[in-house]
Amino acid sequence: MIVCVAVVGHQNNPLYIQSFTDADDALKLHHIVHCSLDVVDERVNNPKKSGPPLNETFLGLLYPTENYKVYGYLTNTKVKFILVTTNLDVRDADVRNFFRRFHAAYVDAVSNPFHVPGKKITSRTFAERVSTIVKSFGLSSAG
Amino acid sequence: MEEYPEEFRSPPVRLVALVGCPEQHGLISTHFLSQQPPINTLALPHFSKLSLLLHRSSKSSSSSSAAGILKRDWLVKHRTKIPAVVGALFLWDHVSGDPAQWVQVCSDLDELKAAIRPRNIKLLLLVVVGQSDEISEDRLLALRKRAEVDSKYLLLFNPDPSQLNNSLQRLGASFAELATTFYRDEGRRIKAPIEKKNLSSLDLQVRYCFKVAVYAEFRRDWVEALRFYEDAYHALREMVATSTRLPPIQRLLEIRTVAEHLHFKISTLLLHGGKLIEAVTWFRQHIVSYKNLVGPPKVIFLHWEWLSRQFLVFAELLDSSSATLQSVSSLPLGTVEQPLTEWEFHPAYYYQSAAQHLEEKRSSLELAVSISEAFNDNDDGSAESVVQSIYIGQFARLLEQGDDLAMQFLTDDEYTLYAIAEGKRFQDSFEIIALLKKSHEMYTNLKVQRMGSLCAFQIGREYFSLGDFGNAKQLFDGVANLYRQEGWVTLLWEVLGYLRECSRKQGAVKEFVEFSLEMAALPISTIGSIQTSKCGPGGPASLEQRDMIHTEIFALVSGEARPISLDGTDDLKDNTLHLEIDLVSPLRSVLLASVAFHEQIIKSGVSSLITLSLLAQLPLSIEIDQLEVQFNQFECNFIIMNAKKCPLEAVPSEQHDHRVESAPSLALVPNKWLRLTYDIKSEQSGKLECLSVIAKMGPHFTICCRAESPASMDDLPLWKFEDRVETFPTKDPALSFSGQKATQVEEPDPQVDVTLGASGPALVGERFLVPVTIASRDHTIYAGEMKINLVDVRGGGLFSPRESEPFSMDSHHVELLGIVGPEGEDESQRGPDKIKKIQQSFGLVSVPFLNIGESWSCKLEIMWHRPKPVMLFVSLGYSPNSNELNAQKVNVHKTLRIEGKNAVLISQHFMLPFRRDSLLLSRIKPVSDSSKFVSLPLHETTVLVVSAKNCSEVTLQLLSMAIEVDDDGIEKSWSIQHGGEDLGTAVLVPGEEFKKVFTVIPQVDSSKLRLGMVHLKWKRHCGIEDRSGLTVTDAHVLTKHELPDVHVELSPIVVSLDCPPYAILGDPFVFCVKIRNQKELLQEVKFSLADSQSFVLTGSHSDTVFVLPKSEHVLYYKVVPLASGLQQLPRISLTSVRYSARFQPSSAASTVFIFPSKPHCKMAGITDQGLESIIAD
Repeated sequence: MIVCVAVVGHQNNPLYIQSFTDADDALKLHHIVHCSLDVVDERVNNPKKSGPPLNETFLGLLYPTENYKVYGYLTNTKVKFILVTTNLDVRDADVRNFFRRFHAAYVDAVSNPFHVPGKKITSRTFAERVSTIVKSFGLSSAG
Repeated sequence: MEEYPEEFRSPPVRLVALVGCPEQHGLISTHFLSQQPPINTLALPHFSKLSLLLHRSSKSSSSSSAAGILKRDWLVKHRTKIPAVVGALFLWDHVSGDPAQWVQVCSDLDELKAAIRPRNIKLLLLVVVGQSDEISEDRLLALRKRAEVDSKYLLLFNPDPSQLNNSLQRLGASFAELATTFYRDEGRRIKAPIEKKNLSSLDLQVRYCFKVAVYAEFRRDWVEALRFYEDAYHALREMVATSTRLPPIQRLLEIRTVAEHLHFKISTLLLHGGKLIEAVTWFRQHIVSYKNLVGPPKVIFLHWEWLSRQFLVFAELLDSSSATLQSVSSLPLGTVEQPLTEWEFHPAYYYQSAAQHLEEKRSSLELAVSISEAFNDNDDGSAESVVQSIYIGQFARLLEQGDDLAMQFLTDDEYTLYAIAEGKRFQDSFEIIALLKKSHEMYTNLKVQRMGSLCAFQIGREYFSLGDFGNAKQLFDGVANLYRQEGWVTLLWEVLGYLRECSRKQGAVKEFVEFSLEMAALPISTIGSIQTSKCGPGGPASLEQRDMIHTEIFALVSGEARPISLDGTDDLKDNTLHLEIDLVSPLRSVLLASVAFHEQIIKSGVSSLITLSLLAQLPLSIEIDQLEVQFNQFECNFIIMNAKKCPLEAVPSEQHDHRVESAPSLALVPNKWLRLTYDIKSEQSGKLECLSVIAKMGPHFTICCRAESPASMDDLPLWKFEDRVETFPTKDPALSFSGQKATQVEEPDPQVDVTLGASGPALVGERFLVPVTIASRDHTIYAGEMKINLVDVRGGGLFSPRESEPFSMDSHHVELLGIVGPEGEDESQRGPDKIKKIQQSFGLVSVPFLNIGESWSCKLEIMWHRPKPVMLFVSLGYSPNSNELNAQKVNVHKTLRIEGKNAVLISQHFMLPFRRDSLLLSRIKPVSDSSKFVSLPLHETTVLVVSAKNCSEVTLQLLSMAIEVDDDGIEKSWSIQHGGEDLGTAVLVPGEEFKKVFTVIPQVDSSKLRLGMVHLKWKRHCGIEDRSGLTVTDAHVLTKHELPDVHVELSPIVVSLDCPPYAILGDPFVFCVKIRNQKELLQEVKFSLADSQSFVLTGSHSDTVFVLPKSEHVLYYKVVPLASGLQQLPRISLTSVRYSARFQPSSAASTVFIFPSKPHCKMAGITDQGLESIIAD
């Protein structure tokens, strides 16, 4: 289950962060998302020789925690997407698929002429779309 | 790692024993220890000691159905008590001695064999021999038979220094070989049942695997050791569901403890083998397999403690082995199925996790303690005599039964009580802080700032809960900075909440107010707010909470209410609270002051507009009592009073030294600019800048806000990411983009006229006068100073580079000669304070005091040495109204371009006398050197015509013209004849030319002869009407012109035509040609005469004549004119054969006027004077 998704801007500032848990760990999730930016920086700044070349947007698993897995995605405009899930055996393909749909939703949201680039995303449509994507995460492969 | 016994932490070392001959033991055991790998030695002086050491207790030997998995002392027993090899030392004397000694040796041997046989310990015989001992093979054989050892295990040991090394080497090799054999045999023996799978329980399987692994470790067979440890670990994991030997809590405890030990061994082996990825993967699996085995809720804290310990131990292992691991990026990242991330290779991550688990442990322990206290009020002391039992991971009660001690199993309840009582004894917070600090330090070293910040935040939280607010605040401050910078509002809110509580607890009112205001001004909207109960002391991040904090703070600062439990605030009533907000302060969103002048440049003394805009992002409106606007010019400061709160009349009198304005309302509505526009007037020129705006709220609270220009104002740091309506600080959007908080005040307009009255171009050489008039219109002039500058129009100096020698008269083509004061003012009347300083292109003169309406004038004398245009700059600086020294100066600037021109152009040309020609050889054969000079015949008269042309635009009056010889010291080489110098009033209108004729007779034969300078004296011709506008001094000007050098040579032949000046028609006259030979040689001259229509003549037409040296030959022709008028005489042409020079007189020279009849008037004879003065057109 996805517990948190976030869009992070150029100055590593949160543009959109939404947690999907009833529990009181929203703050903890914010911390996790924030800390995962360290890994994104590390991956972007020091691409490994042996690792996969960083010419794709999907950054893979970022951050191991006891109960969560954190995945990252970097758009061509250097906006970062972070996904936190409690599902400990997630398939990369699912995550990639999720990010692809999420990216499409993001592009639609920022293409709104009334949206100012670099500002927080407050669109309700975007929020609804994101929660739909989040709910359907993993279903296609499981079904 | 320290919680494990030593035998677990280090790899096992082989153990051997030495018996007998104690004096040799030291040598041998030292050598064994230094071997690679080392061997530990048990040194037993007597054979009887060994059987005591190897004595087997009857109880433990019969335990086939185990009561536990691993015995606590098994490993230490094998490491310290049970040797793999026993080396029995005998002296050769005893072996070869008398029968009594032999019997003693045999009995010792028997005893030894009996002791070691049950444990399969290997035996090695050592016979200590001396240097001189005779070795008998028979005795050795007998000894060997008795001991039942192979021949190679009977060694001779010679302690003599020459043999010692050899003996020790042999000894070491044999001991090592036998020890390896022992451990391998033991391993095989235990391995057999495992491989046959006929073990009765999993307990035994774990134990046997463990033992095999340990024996492999003794042999340094790491691969096998690892394999069996892993087998043991897997077998153990299976026991979780199956074992029923112990009550559930203790059962889980034992399994976890054993698993921990096995895991520790495995990790150590993997890491020492350099298999970092395997170790990390193994650790992860370890955690995953045991993570869900939490146990009953009462003892869940044991689970967290255990987990925390796993992370801590692994972190320490990683830390100690990661000396070579420097960079994360160099590591490969796991497999596709099991991707590993960067931090999993860093101890910092494990330390952090250990701390997190320890926190969990603490909270669940607290819960367990509270439950146990609620249910078990009477502590019956059952936890007191609980000790660790002989099996790893088991606890038992120690019962004293008389002298004997007995172990009694515990029930789970008893154990729980014991565990809780144990848990209470420890302070977890310090442990957590220590772990987090380690992690924080490592992250900081790796420059991983966000993880580091999270650690710092967690440390701060621990300190906070411990009541160490100083440390906590310091940590929180650092974390808050990062969150501010990156705009993580919710995280910042939490940290600020802690900071606020810290300062509240410390009684730091100012900081408390600052943090509270910052929290209140955070952009937390209802959309992104987090409704959670797990929030810090700042409460949940929500709009309501912001409102609450806002209300609380403004109640505090206005003195209406006291916040709860804020210590040390009693002095707030007496002291004022003053906040400074600068350009980088996080409090900018609390109050932002933008100041814009409407004009970029204002006149001094003229009032202009200034707009002051204030913005607050607080959740509720605030009312400001008074605003003070401060400028760099102190006099401009002014105060704006809130009319509602404080009417203008009630302003305290001491504030009246500033301007006081009143505004109807000074209420700041959230996210809405409060715009105030006022007049401003400055008397002082220069920069006028608004420095700060001080807002006063309540009697004791002021906020000083640095003024910002709207044009260069940064966005509010956190609010800039918010999707909100942005408004301009000023009504006029253009002003918002360009407005500045500073303006330039100009000096007042000068009320003085400076006139430069020069007319026409200046002429080179004259003293040109430029009249300057200073007329005061509305300003009196105090301390006036006039600067004069002459600047080349084309830029650069007034001299050319090649003439750049300083202070040379000629270096300046245009020169300021002096300043002539107004008429009647004498130089001596000037006071000593009057400045007058003149340089070649710069002058400074002081201007006397002038009242309004008065004027003063002077004249600048400028001389041009070369014709060129020049810019004249005149600037007058004065103070208009007072004679204070530092008063504002007013400057007036004037410029004038003046052309400098040559007045006259002097030229010259040479002519030979009429009808007389000299043959000059240089004209025939031009030599390159002399060709540029004019050639003059020696001793012959030459006419020099000097003409002066007026090329200016004014009429000139010529005074004199003369040729001056400058080098009069030299012998006169030529003579010049001319008339009087005075020319009278020769007036030359523009473009007119004046000519004067000189005759020159060269007297020296020279190829280069200087003729001298033409000196022309002239002055401007001024009509009577011109006298008033005099711009030039009356003095004459001398213009010099250098005559070109000439070439003088002796001419070999001079030809002159001789005929009367006129003739009368029909009247014959004689026309002769004189050929004069000036040389010492005979000259052959051919001549021919061309007939003319107008004349009839007698004489030879062509012939060759010889002219004698220094003599003259004359050709006579008698001619009769046939026509009247100007007629051409028959033309003669001569050719000098010697010089191949042909000569023909010019047609002008051979022309004569024929009168039709004899004229009646008396003809004036042409005087043969050498000088004529003609003014020609």
